[in-house]
This record gives sequence, C-alpha cells and structure tokens, in this order.
Amino acid sequence: MYSRRFQYVRAQSLGDACDMLRRHGDGAKVIAGGQSLLPMVNVGLVTPEVVVDISRVPEARGLARDDGFVVIGALNTHRELMTSELLQADQPLIPAAASHIGNDRVRNRGTLGGSLAHSDPAGELPLVMTAISAMYEVTDGSSTREVKAEEFATSFLTTQLEPDEVVVAARVPVLGPGWGWSFCEMSRRKGDFAVVAAAALVRSAGGALVEARLALGGVADHPVRLGAVEAALAGATYDEIGPRVGAIEGIRPLSDTNASGEYRRHLSRVLAVRALEEAYRRSEEVE
Amino acid sequence: MSSDVTVTITVNGRQLTRTAGGHLSLLRWLREIAGVTDPKCGCGEGICGACAVLVDGRPVSSCIVLAAQVDGGEVTTASGLCEPDGSFSPLQEAFHQHHAAQCGFCTPGMLVCATAMLAEDRRLSRPEIREALHGNLCRCTGYGPIVTAIDSVQQGSHR
Repeated sequence: MYSRRFQYVRAQSLGDACDMLRRHGDGAKVIAGGQSLLPMVNVGLVTPEVVVDISRVPEARGLARDDGFVVIGALNTHRELMTSELLQADQPLIPAAASHIGNDRVRNRGTLGGSLAHSDPAGELPLVMTAISAMYEVTDGSSTREVKAEEFATSFLTTQLEPDEVVVAARVPVLGPGWGWSFCEMSRRKGDFAVVAAAALVRSAGGALVEARLALGGVADHPVRLGAVEAALAGATYDEIGPRVGAIEGIRPLSDTNASGEYRRHLSRVLAVRALEEAYRRSEEVE
Repeated sequence: MSSDVTVTITVNGRQLTRTAGGHLSLLRWLREIAGVTDPKCGCGEGICGACAVLVDGRPVSSCIVLAAQVDGGEVTTASGLCEPDGSFSPLQEAFHQHHAAQCGFCTPGMLVCATAMLAEDRRLSRPEIREALHGNLCRCTGYGPIVTAIDSVQQGSHR
C-alpha cells in the first residue's frame, strides 16, 4: 500500500502544468486534492513517473454568478461546494451531491476538477453536472474549449481531456423559479461509492409537471442522461410520475462486488422515481 | 534527476524541515522522516481514518496527501492535542475515563476527527456522533465507549 517513487513537481500556473504534461508525456499525472489519484497510486493501480501539482496555481478558483450561470473554479473542494451559500441558493443540487462524497477528510481535500477528470461512473459530481447540463472549460495552457458535461466522459474513468489538458471550471445554469431538485443515492456503507445514484430537477405548475431533468450514475461506464424519460414526464401529475418513468431504457448496469446488474437496474427505477417525486414536491414548495 | 524535495511543516508547534522523496505521503513523511509516529497506517486509501491529522485545522487522511503539498502548512497529530503543560485535553481525558481505546490503533485518528467534530460547536446527538465518525473504523468495534467519550465532552462544554 506504499507508493513507488515518482518525481513531484509544483506548477506555478495552469499553463506551466500543461507544459509539464507535454514534456513528461504518458508518465505524468495531475494532482490537485489527490483524493482519487493517491488511493490508486497507493494500491498500485496507477504508477506515475511524474506528478504535477496544480493545487497552488492562481487560476481555477472562485465561485461566482455570471449572467444566469454560476462559474465554479475546478480547485474548489467538495467542502467548499457543500458550504457555498451561493450554490445553496442558485443550484442546491451541487451541495447536496457533494455532501455524499466520501468522508469529511476527503471533502476537505478533494476538488471539483479532480472528481470530473477522474470520472468515476458512480461519482456524485459528474452525475449532477450531467443532470443540470453543465459546460466544462478545459485548457491546454494556450487555448481553452468548452465541453458538455454529458459528452465529457467517453468510457470508464476516461474523458475527452487530451493528455495535456486540465479542467479549469464548470459553468452551471442557475436553477430557475418553480424548479425543485433532488439527489438520491444508495450505497452499501455511508461514504462508500454509490451503487446507483439519481439526480433530478423538476419544474411544475398548476398541479402538473412541466419539465424534468434526470440522470443516473453507477448504471453504465459514465453518468447517463435519460432524455426519453424526461420527455415522457411532461404533463404528469405527482401520482403519474412512477407509471410514466416505466422501465428505464438506455442503461447498461454492470455486476461487481457491490451489486448485480439486475439489482442496479431495479435501483435505477426506484431511485429515479424517488428523486423525481422529491424534486416535484420541492418545486411546489418554491412555486 | 533527484526526486527529493525539501519540505517545511510545523508539526504540533515544532517547525521541521526535511529533504526526502517527493512521492512520500504526509503519513510516511511524519512517521519515517520526522519520527512522529502517532498517526497510523491502516488502509492506505483514505477510508479507515487511522492516519487522520489536522492540516491547517481541518482533518485529512495523511496517507492520501503528499507531504510536498503541505509544505509551509501546520499539522496537528493526536499527541499535539495535549494541553501546553503536556496533560490530556478534555477529549483525551474522556477517552481515558470511558475506556474508549481498546487496541488503540484507531485512537489517534478518532481523537483528531472528534476534535474537529467538537470544534463545529453544534450539539450532536449520539446517533449524529456515530454518523460523523463513519470515516473512522475501529476494528475492535468499540464504538460505544468512543461515542460516550465524545458525548461527555460536549456535555461538559455545554453544562
């Protein structure tokens, strides 16, 4: 459980970090909070030659409103997401999801950008970012581009990030009036990875659901946005949510030591309905 | 190219500067380089809490933080929780009184995390204390006395 030797280098800026990544190639890994990387290094799953520390760069910080959006710097810790009054008011799904991550110690160190770049299929933050249609800003040091959260992950622990790119920020829409939210997760132990997690947003008016956003984590190699279910929900009353969700298509739950694929499929429906119903109730409270 | 880095960390009030491998976790740096052995290596994955220390006042798993990342910072381990005269803190005294240590391996991490918990200054119920300790494993399963010890300190401070 002890790491092999590697070289530690501290980047002075994100541009500096990207240069180092280009110089060292495949053997280089980025570290910010280290809460995903170092457990993998300690158990020997990852054996970097060089670790580039971006935790002290001046960029990728801050959490501020910007014209109907909130821009969240990638170096915000989970604790900062959880306790941000701005997020609690403007996009409460994110603090709710962050509170499910690991334990207090993980949340004190782990960062938004780290969670997104690590891209665990059961990770809470990639899931909520998918549900709320976030955009990620990524940079190679000289040019930046935007990537849709939904398209960021390409496979298990694999993203669209090029080897010399890092995540700078996530841009998330402010939750509008009349919207309710919910984050539901089932894990074997508190703080463990989710077996399945669901994130939902619902807007209701006049006793019926107007529109919904729904994403599931832990049911495929990356979070899945369920557009067909969202479409089927338009116009539903509260009691009709369960029947309209129906059998969830488009997911490929795997079996592992935590749960069978069949049980994950069962949980997907249970948690999706539970999250949609809670989001609906909250949407009526704020109406 | 040497992979050693020079790191300065204030550990329990003592400023220590050491040159060692940049790959070393804060836990290994403390135990093997600085000779501070109260944080223990349990799982090496940040789950069990035996290696917990405070970095700049907040609990972290020292096994999954690089020492080089804490350069210039302040670290408090369980032994650093003692009063200035070396006597037990109220929490340490409560652990002693309530027999909250069995084999003792989880105790340094329990003390560190419970210190952070009590610093929140919100009265917790026993179930809330138990839940707040979900990231600290006691393989002796002696959670009852640990929760009792933490609860007794709260009661003392709120009396």
